[in-house]
Amino acid sequence: MSTAALSAPDARARVNVDRLFLGLALAATAALIALVLLDGQPASAALILGGFGLGIAFLKAEFSYTASWRRFLTRGEAGGLLGGLIVIAITALAVVPVAALAPHFGGAIAPLGPSLLIGAFVFGIGMQLANGCGSGTLYTAGGGSGRMLIALLFFVVGSVFGSLSLPSALSLGGIDPILASDYLGPWGGLAATLASIALAAILIVAVARKRGASFMPSRTYVFGGIAIGLLCVGVFIAGGHPWSVTFGYTVWGAKIASALGFDFSHAAFWQWPGPKHALAESVLSDTSSLTDFGMLFGAMAAAAAAKPFARTAWPPAKSLLAAGIGGLLMGWGARLGFGCNIGAFVGGVASGSLHGWVWFAAALPGCLIGIRLRPLFGLSRD
Amino acid sequence: MRKVYIAVVVLGLIAVIGNHLTSPSSGRAVSPEDFAGACAPCGAPCPSKK
Repeated sequence: MSTAALSAPDARARVNVDRLFLGLALAATAALIALVLLDGQPASAALILGGFGLGIAFLKAEFSYTASWRRFLTRGEAGGLLGGLIVIAITALAVVPVAALAPHFGGAIAPLGPSLLIGAFVFGIGMQLANGCGSGTLYTAGGGSGRMLIALLFFVVGSVFGSLSLPSALSLGGIDPILASDYLGPWGGLAATLASIALAAILIVAVARKRGASFMPSRTYVFGGIAIGLLCVGVFIAGGHPWSVTFGYTVWGAKIASALGFDFSHAAFWQWPGPKHALAESVLSDTSSLTDFGMLFGAMAAAAAAKPFARTAWPPAKSLLAAGIGGLLMGWGARLGFGCNIGAFVGGVASGSLHGWVWFAAALPGCLIGIRLRPLFGLSRD
Repeated sequence: MRKVYIAVVVLGLIAVIGNHLTSPSSGRAVSPEDFAGACAPCGAPCPSKK
């Protein structure tokens, strides 16, 4: 069939596919999967594919924690926040009981203390300046936003600084993680976790109604939330822990810094067994790096399949400055706060760990400050 | 912006593959939480263990 014989919509659809970047994304993903399969690690391949699916789902649903939180804080609109809770509820259905009952599986837990509060608060400021959180930065950078590529670069730098600050922040004190299933058993813990999510949803809807704002999530957010929740379950099954994003950034930054001659042998964080292992081993031995790479290329593939990739002009310098500062703050905050919206909030709450809700409560006021700072960089408060 | 993206993807991929080929890889991918004493996704110890 000749091109002339195609209907107009078909012809337009063909033109809109950016074959160069679609091919680049698919080839890069295939190369990474081949490397881990050559090492006999099918679970690692599953994590890359899980990340790839998450990149597509986030991009297609335009799922944004940052914008959802901002709309809730500025206008009272709750649909986006509720969409985020759908993700957590679906993930919790698998994580709470499996982590409690099955060997080699675990939830996302973290201590409660000043480090968590400070880190989440600073992260909240950064996510509004950068206009993306941990996952948001990843999928928008992968999706062709040069601005978010800058945010990602500084996120990586900030997270290395955060790794150097975390031991001092932990010395300020704190208590061990509080996990619902430790007190109520796997099923009681799941019931308590789902009840806490339902209570949060009721409170969020009440605030929206009081402010006369909408609280129904859009169809896209509902279906996107379901898809992302199911993919979170898949990543949990493949990796043994809930999906996390930002530890991978820290490993990338530390590996680059090491290659440039920086010595981490005296840094307390990098002497803890997990980080020490991650720094010494292949980057493809780290679960969060695997899903991160998958997500970047999944978003790139989805964006390139829909329209010409990265054709927009660079934004103004002030906007790029906000992205850089926001990235730095998020990176530093994510290390002190034990993760981002995904690793700490989604993963924590879905594990029945109290730190997830504490992270949320500390990040929201940080967001408020970030929203107030946005006009300084030419960004709207909406 | 497209040229920047091509450079970032190609150089990033070379760095990842290079790191993988020159670093040990001792089995299945792990998270810092998999190690004994870890109390957080980054592998930080529990306050009670200090």
